[in-house]
Amino acid sequence: MAEKYRHLYVVIEHEDGEFLPVSLEMVGEARRLMDSFNTKYSSNEKVVAVILGHNVQDLSKQLIEYGADAVVYADNPELKDVRNTIYTKVIGQIVQDTKSLGEIEPEYASDIKRPRYMFFAADSIGRHLSSTTLVELESGLASDINKLVIEDIEMSHQQKTGGTKETYAKTLEMYRPDFSGFLWTTILCLDNRNPAFKRDYHPQSCSIIPGVFEPLKRDSLREGKIIEFTPTIDPQDLKVKVLGREIIKSEVDFETPRTIVSFGRGIKDDPEQNIKLIENLAKELNAEIGVTLPMSKKPYQISQALDSKYMIPARVIGTSGHKTSAMLYVAAGVSGAMQHVMGMKDSGFVVGINPDEDAPIKNECDVFIKGRMEDVIPLLIEEIKKQIQIVEVQ
Amino acid sequence: MGGLNIAVIIKLEPDFSEGNVSYNPDGTLNRAETKNTLGPHSAIAAHAAFFGRVMYDAEISIGTMGPPIADLALQQAQQISDAEELCLYSDRLFAGADTLGTAEVLRVGIEKMQEKMDIVFSGHRASDGETGQTGPQTAWKLGFTFLGNVISYSVDLETRMVRAKRLISLQGFPSVIEEVEAPLPVFISIDPTYKSNYNTVSQRLAFQKYQKEATQRAENYKDYFKIFNAKELGVDETLVGLPGSPTIVYKVERVPKSTATRSAEVIDGSDPEQIRKVVSKMKEALAAMVIK
Ligand SMILES: Cc1cc2nc3c(=O)[nH]c(=O)nc-3n(C[C@H](O)[C@H](O)[C@H](O)COP(=O)(O)OP(=O)(O)OC[C@H]3O[C@@H](n4cnc5c(N)ncnc54)[C@H](O)[C@@H]3O)c2cc1C
Repeated sequence: MAEKYRHLYVVIEHEDGEFLPVSLEMVGEARRLMDSFNTKYSSNEKVVAVILGHNVQDLSKQLIEYGADAVVYADNPELKDVRNTIYTKVIGQIVQDTKSLGEIEPEYASDIKRPRYMFFAADSIGRHLSSTTLVELESGLASDINKLVIEDIEMSHQQKTGGTKETYAKTLEMYRPDFSGFLWTTILCLDNRNPAFKRDYHPQSCSIIPGVFEPLKRDSLREGKIIEFTPTIDPQDLKVKVLGREIIKSEVDFETPRTIVSFGRGIKDDPEQNIKLIENLAKELNAEIGVTLPMSKKPYQISQALDSKYMIPARVIGTSGHKTSAMLYVAAGVSGAMQHVMGMKDSGFVVGINPDEDAPIKNECDVFIKGRMEDVIPLLIEEIKKQIQIVEVQ
Repeated sequence: MGGLNIAVIIKLEPDFSEGNVSYNPDGTLNRAETKNTLGPHSAIAAHAAFFGRVMYDAEISIGTMGPPIADLALQQAQQISDAEELCLYSDRLFAGADTLGTAEVLRVGIEKMQEKMDIVFSGHRASDGETGQTGPQTAWKLGFTFLGNVISYSVDLETRMVRAKRLISLQGFPSVIEEVEAPLPVFISIDPTYKSNYNTVSQRLAFQKYQKEATQRAENYKDYFKIFNAKELGVDETLVGLPGSPTIVYKVERVPKSTATRSAEVIDGSDPEQIRKVVSKMKEALAAMVIK
């Protein structure tokens, strides 16, 4: 049967000749999904990586080794910096280029119009690029996804189907954790089959949270097609000039310290005093201080000094902030929402301080100290003073 | 040398600040009990617009799609930005829209504003589980150059160019500040760390003057307020609301309790003897460090 939509396209991000970790994570998850898709549907649809830039041939080869069946790359000096307008246009050209779509799978060359699915990274670049690209393609986009399932879905929907029962085959179920971190919303991108306003929506697309999926091991024996795409570059799309780029050193350092003490909304009963307690604990452990995302939104009236030092985005641990593999991670007054856990689960030894034994953070802890931080931390500090004396590591 | 026209798109959101937010026993947001307010990222976008008012004498317009009570957000944003045009796009037909359907309403709304816009600002994202997609999608529909994660900007009215600094944070790489230049019109989504700097005395005087004006205007915000339904806007009804939304929410479920990745030893935090044991374990974990 002729199919207009096939394959899963993954938009790759890279910096200074290296992949961002999320790129390989997306390729890995795409591989797993399409392997089970092809088994389930006795099909042979591909994982296609899309990479734009200047001098990206070498990276293109590596993408095959990390699990892609095919790579479409556009190599042009104008694509050296990621600029939203030209990137959106070129990605739009690539995914609608029937020639390269045909090269990937010659037997479908005459039928295929667009990818079936498409992945972007949910980061500073991919979040915006996915948004503009999906307007260009006039299709749907879900953001911040951390679980994906492909299934046939039978449903009747007032708008989508006009109330009659329809089967949407091979539908990508995109799971998105909500702002509390405890609810999962499944988002679908579905064609309108309602006779009143029929319309196809492909590719079904999403942005994927960095750090969630596992990349595959690099395998130099893996083979695939590498296709060069020559973009059409309209000078109108090159209006943005990049004048300079400056790497910033954060005042917060989560790389060197071996211990991190984090706090969350559990400080609420006396934020000022509790932050001071945390500070003292961190001092004894020579630790850097981390926070949960809500802290960075400045929810409490506290002294300016503490506010500007701690309630800031640079300290957030989790999918919206830093990922750490500290030797010791102390989470005080943190519930353990999954976006937070993604940032700290690779730590060595984890201690939780929380009065609520049902808090999900417990599942991530080696030791869960049941109690209020107001009571527990002073005892901890006293004991650490007796037992541990940390000398600056030379 | 022409004047500068700035639009801001904003959103009414649940107020997550302490005392206003209410959670259900299961930890989810209690929407009925939680108050609404101008979203914090929208407020930052309004501050960025006010910077244009102070520095370049810009005229500010604000647009929002939402229920009739969203006039509150418009008033709050006017208080920040000294806007002279407040537009609410409100119609049952817009309900249930995803970001594509929302961006279409905002595009039409912005094109209907009394002036042709040079800069449109949006916040980074909404706090109530929104996606950060609406800004860039509106930009693309408008055909404006999109600049995301902007932490500061300036405009050269002579050459009609914008200069902006953008904060790019990528997991696994150090953050980068990128400086870019682009001709007007541009669409700017403002980074949460955006700051307006008023350095000279005359800038600070202008700041005070416009702030006072903003307060007066916001007291009489109804004089600046317009409300548009789908028909008045002239939107294509198949491109907005549910018909114009490719995506649907299929189901909402509780995230299953993660199976414990570690088996936590539970310790009574009031027992000094047990705390002593915890600390000796912490000490073991840090064994690679120099310990006396
Ligand atoms: C797209 C998106 C991205 C996100 N990214 C992140 C991210 O990167 N990082 C992040 O952290 N969050 C992130 N979140 C938010 C996340 O979902 C949670 O809302 C957040 O982590 C919860 O913060 P919390 O643990 O401080 O607060 P809560 O969930 O309110 O937990 C507070 C805890 O404190 C305990 N407590 C109460 N009193 C005391 C006391 N006296 N002593 C000790 N403990 C006490 C309570 O029992 C509770 O377990 C994100 C959300 C979204 C939608």
